[in-house]
Amino acid sequence: MSAVLELRKVSIRFENIQALDSVDFDLLEGETHAIVGENGAGKSTMMRILAGVYTGYEGEYFLDGQPVHLQSPRDALSLGIGMIHQELSVIPELSVAENLFLGRQPLTPYGMIDWRLMNRTAQEELSKLGFADIDVKRPLGTYALGTQQVVEVLRVILSGAKVLIMDEPTSALSPPEVERLIQLIDTLRKAKRSIIYISHFLEEVMRVADRVTVLRDGHKVATVNQTDTSVNELISLILGREINAELPAATTQKDAHVLLEVRDLTADVFRNVNLNVYQGEVVGLYGAIGSGHFDLARAVFGMYRFDSGAVVVDGQTYPRDFSARYAIQHGLAYASESRRMSLFMEEPIFRNVMVPHLERLGRWLSPTRSTELDLSTPQIKLTGVHPDDPVNPVGQLSGGNQQKVAIARWLPFPPKVFIMAEPTRGMDVGAKSEVLTILRNFRNEGYGVLVVSSEPETVLSVADRIMVMSRGQVVADMENVNLNKDVLMRLL
Amino acid sequence: MTTQTSSRAPGEAKRGFGGLPHWVATLAPVWTLLALFIFFGVASQSFLRPQNINNILVQVSTLAIFGTGMTFVLLTGEIDLGISSTAAISGMVAAQLFANNNAQEPVPLIAGLLVGTLLGLLAGITSTRFRIPTFMSTLAVSFIGAGLTTYVSKGRTITTLPEYARFLGSGRIFTDETGRGGFPFIVIVAAIVMLIAYLVLRYTRFGRYVYMTGASKSAARLAGVNTNMILIAVLTISGFTAGLAGVVGMGRLGSAQPDPVPSYLLDTISAVVLGGTALTGGRGGILQTVIGLLIYGTLRNGLDNIPEIDIYLKEFITGVVLIVALIVNVVFAGRSARDKTAV
Repeated sequence: MSAVLELRKVSIRFENIQALDSVDFDLLEGETHAIVGENGAGKSTMMRILAGVYTGYEGEYFLDGQPVHLQSPRDALSLGIGMIHQELSVIPELSVAENLFLGRQPLTPYGMIDWRLMNRTAQEELSKLGFADIDVKRPLGTYALGTQQVVEVLRVILSGAKVLIMDEPTSALSPPEVERLIQLIDTLRKAKRSIIYISHFLEEVMRVADRVTVLRDGHKVATVNQTDTSVNELISLILGREINAELPAATTQKDAHVLLEVRDLTADVFRNVNLNVYQGEVVGLYGAIGSGHFDLARAVFGMYRFDSGAVVVDGQTYPRDFSARYAIQHGLAYASESRRMSLFMEEPIFRNVMVPHLERLGRWLSPTRSTELDLSTPQIKLTGVHPDDPVNPVGQLSGGNQQKVAIARWLPFPPKVFIMAEPTRGMDVGAKSEVLTILRNFRNEGYGVLVVSSEPETVLSVADRIMVMSRGQVVADMENVNLNKDVLMRLL
Repeated sequence: MTTQTSSRAPGEAKRGFGGLPHWVATLAPVWTLLALFIFFGVASQSFLRPQNINNILVQVSTLAIFGTGMTFVLLTGEIDLGISSTAAISGMVAAQLFANNNAQEPVPLIAGLLVGTLLGLLAGITSTRFRIPTFMSTLAVSFIGAGLTTYVSKGRTITTLPEYARFLGSGRIFTDETGRGGFPFIVIVAAIVMLIAYLVLRYTRFGRYVYMTGASKSAARLAGVNTNMILIAVLTISGFTAGLAGVVGMGRLGSAQPDPVPSYLLDTISAVVLGGTALTGGRGGILQTVIGLLIYGTLRNGLDNIPEIDIYLKEFITGVVLIVALIVNVVFAGRSARDKTAV
């Protein structure tokens, strides 16, 4: 078989980071070729080069044996390379058929859209792929996400793509929908379509891929045949080492007091989640993006509506449909994964620290500036915000220091449980360890801490106990003793 | 985080646009006002006479009452397009009750204010309960208000006005023994309304929440602020002030008209924004609105005081000066041009 697409010695740099270093890659006709690697290994970068998004690379790019240099995603599409993004680009209000033919609807001789032809063709094409049950006249938005994805895939194929690049296509899908997608990929393989498949889920990769290329730190580590490898081998290739890092000993007492109890919490993106956080414990809740763990954290704080289940804090069951205000007044603190969403960037640090507590400082009046400064300054110093002048706007601080403000804001009236989503996202090593130290100190002082993250390093380095969520369900709950990344990755 | 950090060295004085010291830049609306005042003072014989200054104050008083509510709404990043109609129906209800239903004061006044408040509440509840943008809900309210005004009035102007409205709108205090001179009461009404609003925004928790909601709705929610309640509250306040402005304005003009005065809406928004209250929310306040109103009033009145200006060009000149003033105010006082995240 000949290669439909090939990269030779492709490199790209961003500022000081060598994102890809002399990477070779080839894709055969009718092949599904998976690309795996950690966050930051270069998967997305490579995909963006393939799809014509990044044009400033070195090295060669061949399509059907001809050298090309794509200038834009439009170029890529016109040469038969189609991209399926994690966020679908379908239009939910339009019908299935309209979505399939978006921008190239068949016309009647009078220049009107030929609805009959369009609907019939759409139905035929879907039937060919084994999806005759989809009604092409129904608005696409009324179908589940998995079906929408099928339609997006088919649309890209109908627009002439020979090569499909699928970026984390299953991260938001439920198990039956994943099956459906795998079935679709099998059909496409038989139709001689070539697919580049990027995923965190290695079990899935082993099911769909013919070959797997492993990237690490911008280098290609290996390309292996699916028949010659295993999930475990892939993990060790991805990590490149046997991890036996020393881990802090867990300090959970067996008979410790439960501070946060989540009982059977169920919403659209998570199901029957049970979770306990004991006094003096850091619990790490780990999951790939789209696992529902961030929404779960929001739900516990009253910011995401859940259908059933209960949140109990220090023995007190929260009422149904409680608000964030209620949660704050009854022992919870929460910092979202997006600091931009949770802080007032133009407001001074001390104001940001005091907002959640205004109600405690006066029924009608807001506290005076000096009261606010008196209450917030010690907390700003305690968490080591730098520079620590409380009147500086938060927007002028670095990411790590903004995170410290997001933590400090709960200290004037300490909660019982801290819920921190991605506490160290986007920080340098120094800031990371400072923030994690603060969280460990909370634990030692007897608070409960729940760290929600998609970065295995974060939960491994700070948690006493780690729970893993996958596709909306808790799939593991274990003491963080001798755990390492490969265990977490296998559980996804 | 890269987008919002500026590369300012610690301790260096804050600088606004063009390297001007920060305090000069943030006070841009004040400089604009001074510049206009000096210009008209020089260009016109009559502009600086006490009687004319008095006129300016009277002319902006109705707008000031409208503008107080509008300031609350704009601070949350929302808008109220219903104020002209709300004012019309409030005035009309008060006038109808007095002229044709023999209601005695204070019933007409209270009824007028109540109608305005309820219309604001309606817009607030519609927007928050059904997640309709305030642009649409208040637009709908403006049709409701205008329609009700026509219906209640049956298209007729009412000139028998309730005495409270007449006094609030055109009464004077500290008059001499012949009943002349004195100070127009409408200015005092406007001042009291603005003073209360100032105190509320500055010193109450609610006031703080209004700013927070406008600065970042998501951050406010995460801090436990019930942003929906805040939104309902500011629209209700705006309804109330529009109702009051309607009753008072009717007293000033001497009649209740069967149609809303559409220019109230745009005049109010222009004046509030001129003062430096951002349409995007979170920045501004009553003091800014006072300055904005004075700029607007000075401009309108000043043009009338220069007889050389072609009367048919006045509207055009007003527009040009508004644009220039807005650019000066917003750009000079605004954020760094580097910040592409700012609107």
